[in-house]
Amino acid sequence: MSLSLFLHIVNLETKKLMSYRVDFWITMAVNLVVNLVILWALWTAIFSESGSEIIGGWDLPGILSYGVMVFLTGRIVRGGDLQMTVATDIYEGALSRFLLYPRHYAFTKYAQQVGNIVPDLFQSVLMGLVALPVLGISSTTAITPLTVAMSIPTILVAHLLFFMMGLIPQYIAFWADNVWSLSVMLRFVTMLLGGAMLPLSLFPEPVQQVLHWLPFAYLFEFPTLVILGKVDFSQWLIGIGTCLLWCLAIGSLSIPVWRRGDLRYTGVGI
Amino acid sequence: MIKVRDLRKVFRVHQKEPGLAASIRSLFHRKWVEKAAVTGSSFDVSEGEIVGLIGANGAGKTTLVKMLSGIIHPTSGEAEVLGHVPWKRENEFRRQIALVMGQKAQMWWDLPGGDCFELLREIYQIPRDQYQQSLNKLTDMLGIGDELKVQIRRLSLGERMKMELIAALLHSPRVVYLDEPTIGLDITTQRAVRDFLLEYRRENAPAMILTSHYMEDIERLCERIIIIREGDIVYDGSLERVIREYAPYKQLRLHVHRADQPGVDLLEKMGQVIDCEPGSICLRVDREKIPEVAAELLRKFSVIDLSIEDPEIGDTIERIMAGSTADSE
Repeated sequence: MSLSLFLHIVNLETKKLMSYRVDFWITMAVNLVVNLVILWALWTAIFSESGSEIIGGWDLPGILSYGVMVFLTGRIVRGGDLQMTVATDIYEGALSRFLLYPRHYAFTKYAQQVGNIVPDLFQSVLMGLVALPVLGISSTTAITPLTVAMSIPTILVAHLLFFMMGLIPQYIAFWADNVWSLSVMLRFVTMLLGGAMLPLSLFPEPVQQVLHWLPFAYLFEFPTLVILGKVDFSQWLIGIGTCLLWCLAIGSLSIPVWRRGDLRYTGVGI
Repeated sequence: MIKVRDLRKVFRVHQKEPGLAASIRSLFHRKWVEKAAVTGSSFDVSEGEIVGLIGANGAGKTTLVKMLSGIIHPTSGEAEVLGHVPWKRENEFRRQIALVMGQKAQMWWDLPGGDCFELLREIYQIPRDQYQQSLNKLTDMLGIGDELKVQIRRLSLGERMKMELIAALLHSPRVVYLDEPTIGLDITTQRAVRDFLLEYRRENAPAMILTSHYMEDIERLCERIIIIREGDIVYDGSLERVIREYAPYKQLRLHVHRADQPGVDLLEKMGQVIDCEPGSICLRVDREKIPEVAAELLRKFSVIDLSIEDPEIGDTIERIMAGSTADSE
């Protein structure tokens, strides 16, 4: 796929989403308020009950910053929550259109997903600017221009990994008509094991050891730790490299699944 | 340009009995049946030819088109389109074909036509000059230049179909599949689409395969038709030949003075009586006997008016689709 086509699709997807202005602003405002209230209520209660200043390496403003940042980066990583788009294309027969184009389907879908990042990125920056100042100053985190800059490639690679991880479950739609439940399950698993609900450092040690060998942490926790200044440069490089290796491995696994599924595709649908 | 040899497609379909108990049972055990959608089709299509693919719903027309455009894989058999095996989906092949599906919107619903076409220009890597020239020409031919900035979902059905046609033809494909391109359109738009397709064929000479339930599409656009019944090709030839082979008779309509009404016995000797009202008769007569029967009627009765008509092609095709053979007619 040429870069110009990739950018063209990204541009169109962005325009498409931005054209629904009411939805765009309401989604942002509701998400921000709901998440801030939940985070504040939950962690204030936990810290006051425990009586500790630091829990698992986080103080209260730090853990609140983690909660906000993992939510904001997670929105970008998930790329507009389009994880059902491939399965829907298969189920509804919309895949047929893409199979006619002289371009690879998965690349086209990936470009669409990236296009969905742009509004999320815009919203996330706005939300961050509003939310972070009210959370207080943390002694356990340090957001700097360098950590923000490092977080950009980290989030992009995490987004690619999230896209890749969603492909195989969605290709199951070639065999099973509806894979909604599988997708919901994947979403919960990735969010829980990826640190989107709470930092993985709060998990029991054996679980952390297991998670170390799995790709989930690179989806949500790693980009958040990068932006909060809790990852040094060498750890960052290793993290990016590992994430890319996971992308390669999962992408390679998805190819035979696609090929087998493609043989079963009937092109029928709504 | 298109070669098809013994192409078959069998689908495995899940069968579920009605009712809650059956639904619960199907969670644990499913009954599958094999359904042959296309059973050994063979034919060729040349450059510049428009072939009408005709058949009842579920006859296998769309499945055949999907295989030839590379969307689905066949169960067995061979096909070659522009020297490529369609379902291998080589980019070189896909750059030279197009598929228009009347029942399924293929454009981006939320985008204006102009944006969709720009995207297609990138997808097919059409040089800017050639793209602009093609777009101007196609929009002029279809008269929808003003709608290019309107979101597809806000267009009328007719305008959407015109956009679909432009989207399909922008890259100047050498093979075009049209799956019910006029379905649901009003008569004026149907005519505009047909005229457009004829003009496009005159200028570009692509091979076209057209499926349609509208006989006017077939009569206006196709010199050759392929009739499919239950996945099987039962006729492949010219429109004229289908009449000769499957309707070897003509209808003779006669108006006579009521006082001079011929008797049914006499009429039945001449042909099959379709209608016999006082003063008005309709006979089905073998083609070779027409001159003789007409002469005899004119000689024996005081005829006010006499007309000889070919049977409706739609009726003939409908009978073939329903199972008639040339011999049975």
